[in-house]
Parts: sequence; C-alpha cells; structure tokens
Amino acid sequence: MSGTERFFKDLSLLVTGLVFTFFLILLAVRLKEVQIDSVAEYNLLKERQSVRLVQTAAPRGRILDRNGKELATNKKAFAIVLNPEGFQRKRQNDTIEAMIQALTNLSAIVRVPIEIDEELPQMLRRHLRRSQAMPYTVFSDVSDEVLARFFEHSDELAGFDLVERSERVYPCGSLASHIIGYVGRGEAESVVGDEKINFREKELVGRSGIEAYCDGYLRGVSGEKRLTVDARGYTVREREVREAIAGPDLKLTIDANLQQTVESALNGYAGACVVVDASTGEMLAVASAPSYNLNDFVPYLPHGVYSKMTNNAARPLVNRATGGTYAPGSIFKPITALAALAHGVKPSHQTMCDGIFTYGTLIMHCASRWGHGELDMVNAIKVSCNPYFAELGVVVGTNLLRKTAMEFGLGRLSEVDLPVDVSGYVPDGQSNEKIGFKWYPGELAQTAIGQGKLLVTPLQMAVMAAGLGTGRLPRPYVNFSNKPNVRKLNIPNYHLEIVREGMRRVVKRGGTGAAAAIDVKADVMGKTGTAEVGPRYNRRKNAWFIAYAKPNAESNKSSLARRSVALAIVLEKADSGGGSAAPRACKILSKIYN
Amino acid sequence: MVEVLRLERAKFYRKFIIEVKDKLKRLNYIMFGAMLALIACGTIAIYSAGHSRADIIFHSMWKSNLYTAIFALGLYFMLAFTDYKKILKWGSAPLYVTALLLLIIVLIFGTVRLGGKRWLWFFQPSEISKLCILSFISYLIGSVASPLGEMRHKFRGFLILSLLVAIPVVLILEEPDLGTALTLLAAILVMFFIGRVWRAGLVTLIATGAILATCVLGAVYEAERPGTTAERKAAILKYVPLEPHQVKRVKVFLFPDEDIHDSGYNLRQAKISIGSGGLTGKGIGKGELNGMKYLPQSISMNDFIFCVWAEETGFVGSIILLTLFGIVILSGVWIAYRAEEPCGRLLAIGIITLFFAHVYINIAMSIGLVPITGLPLPFISSGRTFLVTMMLALGLVQSVSIHGRSGEIL
Repeated sequence: MSGTERFFKDLSLLVTGLVFTFFLILLAVRLKEVQIDSVAEYNLLKERQSVRLVQTAAPRGRILDRNGKELATNKKAFAIVLNPEGFQRKRQNDTIEAMIQALTNLSAIVRVPIEIDEELPQMLRRHLRRSQAMPYTVFSDVSDEVLARFFEHSDELAGFDLVERSERVYPCGSLASHIIGYVGRGEAESVVGDEKINFREKELVGRSGIEAYCDGYLRGVSGEKRLTVDARGYTVREREVREAIAGPDLKLTIDANLQQTVESALNGYAGACVVVDASTGEMLAVASAPSYNLNDFVPYLPHGVYSKMTNNAARPLVNRATGGTYAPGSIFKPITALAALAHGVKPSHQTMCDGIFTYGTLIMHCASRWGHGELDMVNAIKVSCNPYFAELGVVVGTNLLRKTAMEFGLGRLSEVDLPVDVSGYVPDGQSNEKIGFKWYPGELAQTAIGQGKLLVTPLQMAVMAAGLGTGRLPRPYVNFSNKPNVRKLNIPNYHLEIVREGMRRVVKRGGTGAAAAIDVKADVMGKTGTAEVGPRYNRRKNAWFIAYAKPNAESNKSSLARRSVALAIVLEKADSGGGSAAPRACKILSKIYN
Repeated sequence: MVEVLRLERAKFYRKFIIEVKDKLKRLNYIMFGAMLALIACGTIAIYSAGHSRADIIFHSMWKSNLYTAIFALGLYFMLAFTDYKKILKWGSAPLYVTALLLLIIVLIFGTVRLGGKRWLWFFQPSEISKLCILSFISYLIGSVASPLGEMRHKFRGFLILSLLVAIPVVLILEEPDLGTALTLLAAILVMFFIGRVWRAGLVTLIATGAILATCVLGAVYEAERPGTTAERKAAILKYVPLEPHQVKRVKVFLFPDEDIHDSGYNLRQAKISIGSGGLTGKGIGKGELNGMKYLPQSISMNDFIFCVWAEETGFVGSIILLTLFGIVILSGVWIAYRAEEPCGRLLAIGIITLFFAHVYINIAMSIGLVPITGLPLPFISSGRTFLVTMMLALGLVQSVSIHGRSGEIL
C-alpha cells in the first residue's frame, strides 16, 4: 500500500467517523431540547390528553326554622353505579352488550326491576360518548335490603360500585313546602379556579322557594377530583384534589309550630295565609293550599306524579301566598277611607245607605239588603258598607286612591326574598288595550270597595295590615339573617287611628269579623272581605280576613306572643270573610297569644 | 501408532487452544461489552413495553427476545472466530444469489403484516439479505482476487456494482420497505466512498439523492401548506414519486402540529412520551403514555420502543443508550481503520454504517428530525430476525477485528 493510498484511507475513515459522531451529537442535542428544555410543555400536553377534572358535588346546607328545627336536611343515600372501564371491549357495540348483560344480572341479584328496551343501549352509548370516564348511575338511593343483597353478591358484580351521595330529606314532609321549595339534580355552573372542568357531578339545585332563592348560599363549595384516562378514554385511576365543603345552614323566620297551625287552618280550602311580624316584616308562617310533600321529589319526582301535579286544576305547585293574585274585596276599604281622609273628608261624614248605590250605569248592592241607614266612617268600616265607600271613592278620585294604595305596597313588588314575587294591579284610570280592559267611571266605585280590576297578593295584604297597625310598612322576609327594613308611611297617625278604631269594632260584637277575636288574649283589629269573582253564571266568593294584633296584659309571655303580628288569610270559593276566614284567623291568633 | 495419534491429537488441541487464545486477545471487548449492555437495555425496554398490554403474549416477549440473543451469541462467536476472508471468498457470491432468491420468494409467498409484504414464515428476508449484499459488494470492491479486477475504480466497475446493488434495492422497495432500502443504500455509498470506487459516480449519486430529497420535500411542502387549493395539491402530488402514506409521513414531518388525531398522532404521542420523561424519567415500567395505550400498541415494542425507554429513563437513560450506540459505532470504525486488508475494512465500515443508519433514523424519527420510517432500533426493539441479523453483523465485524490484522503480533 502506497503512502498516499494509506493517507486517503485514513482520511476517509476519519471523515466517516466524524460524520457519525456529528449525527449522534445532533441526536443528543435534540434530545436535550425535547427532554430538558420543553419538558413542561410536553407534560402539559400529556396532562391535557390524559387528565380529566371532575367537579364533585357538595352536600347542601340544611334549612332550619327560627327555633332551629330542621325543615330540610341531608341523608346519606347509596347509588349503584356501573364503571364503564370494567366493560371495555374492542368494539363499542360489544361493550354495550356486555353492560346490558351485566345490568340484567344485577337486576336479578338485587331484585330491582330494570327496563331493558331500545332506549337503554342508546342511553349507555350517550354516556360513553359524553362522559366515558365517569360512572353510570343504575339505581339511585337504594333501600337497605337492596344494599344488603348487593354486598352479599358483590363478588358476582364486577364492574359495579356503590357510591355514597347526599340526598335531601324533609323531616316535616309537606310543612312549609312552598317556602322551602323543592330541589332537582342538575349541573352546577360554578367553575372552580381557572382550570377547565371536564365533568360535573350532578348536584342538587334549588328549583323553587328558598332553595332556589338562596341556592348559591346553600350549595357549598364543590370539590375536585382528577381522573387519569387512557387513550380510549377509560379511567385508569382517580385522585381527590379537594374535598367538597358542605353548604352552610340557612335559618328561616318561619316558626314551625305556628306554620303547622296555619296550614291546618286552611284545611278544606284552596287559599293562602301569611303571618308576619308587624314591626319587622319577619314572615312567621306562610301557607298555601293545596300543598305537596317535598319528600316526593327525592331522589327524583316520578313523571306521573309531576304531570298529575301540573294538571291538577287546584295548582298545588303554585305558591298562592306570594304569587296568587286576588281581588281584595272589602279588606281594601281601609285604604279608601285613608284616601278620603287625606282628601279632606271628615271622619264624621255621614251617608245614608239604602242598600243600593248607583253611579252612571253602575248599580251596586250593599251586603245589607235593606241598607245600613245613616253611617259615619268608623261604623262604615265596622259593617263594611259598600255604598259608603263607593261614594268616598268617587269623591276621592283615581289618583289619590291609587297613591294611597301604592303607599301600602299594593301594585308593586313586595321585594320578598322568595323567587315568586308579583306586583298585583292597582287601576290607574287608563284603559289597558293589552288586556282588553276599558276604563269607565263606574270602575272607580268598584275599585273603592276592592272589586273591579284591583289585584293583590295575600302577602301584600298581610304587609298592609302591618302598615295599618303600626304606621310603618315593613319589607317582608323569610331569611332569618336579613335585617328588617321598615318604611314609615306618609300618612298622619290620626287618620290611621280613625281607621284602626273602625277595624277594632270589626272584631267586636256586631262587627263583620267578630268571630276573629273570640277568646284571643290580645288586642286585635281586623277587616273582613268577601270578593266576588268570575262571571255572573259562575260567581265565586273569595273570603278574606286581615288582622293586626298586639299583645296585651293577658297574653302569653312566650317570645312569639310578645310580638305584634299582622296576618292575611284568603280562602277560595268560600262563603264570606266573616263566616269562613275570620274563625280561622281566630285559631291562628289564639295559637300565638293564648 | 496409537501413541502417535494421541500425540497428534494433543498437538492439534494445543494448537487450537493457542489459536483461540490468540483470537480472544484480538476480540474487540469494548464493542462486545457495549453490545451486551445494549441487549440488557433492550430486554428491559421490551419488558416495559409489554407488561402493561392486555394480551398475555406480550408479557413474556422480553424472555423470548433474551433467549434469542443468547442463542445468537453462539452464532456471533462462530462468525467472529471464522476468518471473514474465507467467508467472503467462498460464500459471498452464493449468499448474494440466495438473498436475491429470498427477496423474490417473499414478494410472491410472503405474509402481509402491518402494511408490508415482509415476512417469510418466521423471518424477514430483507434483514438477512442486507448482510449478504454488503459482504458481496465488499468482496467485489476490496478483494485482490475480485472478478472486477482493476475495473472497480473505473466507470464500468461502478456501473456493474450499481446494478448489483440496484436489483435487491428495487426488490426491497417492492415489499415496500423504504427504510431498509435507505439504510442499505447508505451503507453502500459509504463503502463506495471508502473503497475509492469511481468518485465522479459517487458524487453524482449523492448529488442526485440530495436534489431528489429536496425536491420531494419542497413539493410536499407546497402541496400541503395551508392555502394550497385542492386541484393544485393533486397536480403537485401527481409528480411526487411516493406512496400516499409516505406523503402523509413527510407532511407530518413538515407540519407536526397538524392532523394530530390522524396521521400526526403517532409522532405527537412519541414526542409527548419522550418529552414528558424529563431528566430522570418516570421509572422502569411506569411509562404512562405506553401504559395507558396512548403510544400505538402495534409499534410501541418495535419502531417506537425508544419512546418507551426515553419516557421511563429520561434524558439520562437516552444519553446512556446513545453512548452505548456511539461506542459500538466508533469501535467499529476503529476496527475498520485498523484492518490491513481492504476487504475487511469495507465489510466492517459497511456493517457499521448500516447499524448507524438504523440507530439514527429510528431515534431521529421519534423526535421529529426525519420523517417517520418503519425501522427497528438495533438490540432494543423486539424482533428476532433483526436481532439475529445484527448480532451476525457485529460478529462479522469482530471477525474483521480478529483476522484483519493477522500480521500483528500480540
């Protein structure tokens, strides 16, 4: 081998070796770039594809009455769930078939029927598509026997699991159901932190009543779980990141005992009754009849029961106390009287009542067929004389009447802390094209005696009674931690005193509402009302009674009896305010003060 | 008489023992040790890739691979202690013909697996055939007794050699197995370079290859970049000499962040598993991407096994692996350098280039340095034909180490 050849051979091998080394170093440099410099980026990509965040449901806060009695609380309920990862097959159809097979087996073992129809595979498929990493609930809130059978045969039930959930329970059943309201399972919208939540456990969500109004408060803070899923989306492992924090208790102003009495007082009628603390606006009892049992909604309301409820003509789901609008009838007359006094009518103003009142084309009858004769204002209130107040109404005019009514909170929202709050309607002397209502002068006389187009809610009437009694109008509330909000009425006290005198006489012997104060150990004043509604061929009477009572020397010394209360009660399709509503009010007042 | 025979036999034994001792001294122990270390790493990697699989067959894959390696170690020493010159002189031409026949048979009777007709019964002929072709070409270029004679440094010799290489390459491309063909071509080119075959031809070949590769890359880029209309794309791709799946791979190489749920999925998962390994990795057997089936199961044991290794052992592990490969490659170059006889030198450098090409392309494709090509990683991937082939190849290199400098006195 010549020297040159040797040199070239060495050189070319050297070059080859260097090229190999260069490429290997290139690999090392690139590996450093991937494994050291961008490790965070690749970890993030890994997490994004394999980590799913689950928002776990927190137990809901309890609801208590003002004395700490439980109205709504939680119980531990067990649900049987199916874990999809236990059934994974190559093809999805096989997976679903395996699941259905297992479900049939489960149903036979725990002896709970399960419907195997065309919908089941579709539901399972939907579950796999949307939340494959999450368990599929087969039976929620299973009984102890089922639980025992499940444990006994747990070795045959691979792929199934028991999950403890918090379920709502109402120790008092239907008590105060409209105020408490019912819950349903839904997805909470609250997002924890900045991280993206992939799945949300179904939480209890308030659908009506205070459960809905204070939903955010009661709900607590959701927990967080991290699921690690494999390439096919099945859960490989899970880890709890943050435990859920139960919602705080909510105390209501409701007194459960009084509530019980109030609800039984409504017995037999559709209607509503509201009892408020006259000086603060705390709602001591709110009843609406007919009612429903809140426990029927747990764990979920069967569809049949729900449709029965919504199709029921009596509308049990409606809260009549805050959301039912009625013509007030004669209980509106104190407002007319106050408007007249403000207009300058003397309390001694007398009118001759001959049992009939005509105004333009309007012919109005008095409750007393042959008339009350000569009446002054106090006695007109006492006997609830229609012609007297119709005349006052005509004298006063729409604007002042409306202004006085609005001063007492009529025709506007009561601002109660419940989801249903309606304003009712106070006519303003204008025709309303929308509802096809044409104003004519006779309407004024009708409004003055609480008929016509006037609409109020029982809650508004209770508040109005409080206003008449104290001269201050409270804002009603049901959440104990709210502060009272009381507005002084822009009405001179001596005007109110005249009306109060009339209302005191109502519950005395000879008054229309004498039945309301029999043996009640308190100073009571009230007003009856019998509103006529409906067309002539189907005329119905709604019986009203409002009362204001304050304790006197004889009263019980309990904390409840030391309060002055205002109440309003309305009974649909009843006889008369004095005959139907006043005795029931008497029961309630006796319960408070005796 | 019996005594004489006994003496003769004893003499023979003594001679044999002396010979073996001499050969053992000449064995390149650095390369041998690195190879054993690589086999160990491979066993661990295959265990890791397989133990999380649902199919029980894969749980014991590492064992069968290890047994194959131990069996192949015997062949390795047999080859190492056999004079490669004899093998080349008597065996290379028949081996070449056998290889061609095998390649033709596999095209006719082969079994289709993973989109290629590469399997004949239990082995892949294209792996073995590479070795046969390399030895034949090194014999033709290097041997004094070469039938090509002095012609091999001239144009005609170049033409004949190219033709002899082109036939098996075309057959391998027919399977299709682009990766294997490319590694073979790389080895042949380096052998042409070292063996001083007609330089103009070599330069032309390299230049043509480079221009062709650039054109293909450019064309695919133009066709696939966002904003190219469908008609234009079709028109361009008509002139690109690649199969549709190869076009996709080039596209993924150019635009790795697109199409991550379809054609770009493998590369993305490979990068995520390597990248998430970090400095020290997640621990042997604890690779998440492989364990949770994000890395495609069909290739995580073979072409993408580096990802499993890198994820579980981290940067440290990948550098250890690279170093082991580097030791094998550079000691191979050293053996070629030390070989006094051109035939052995060419054989050694050809085999080492083949080895290097496998290592480089396999690792580079999983970190996005080259387009994805289905190539196993020597000693790490599971695949018994390839393991045996590689051990035979390194055995031949050891043979060069032992017999290539017989004049040297140790």
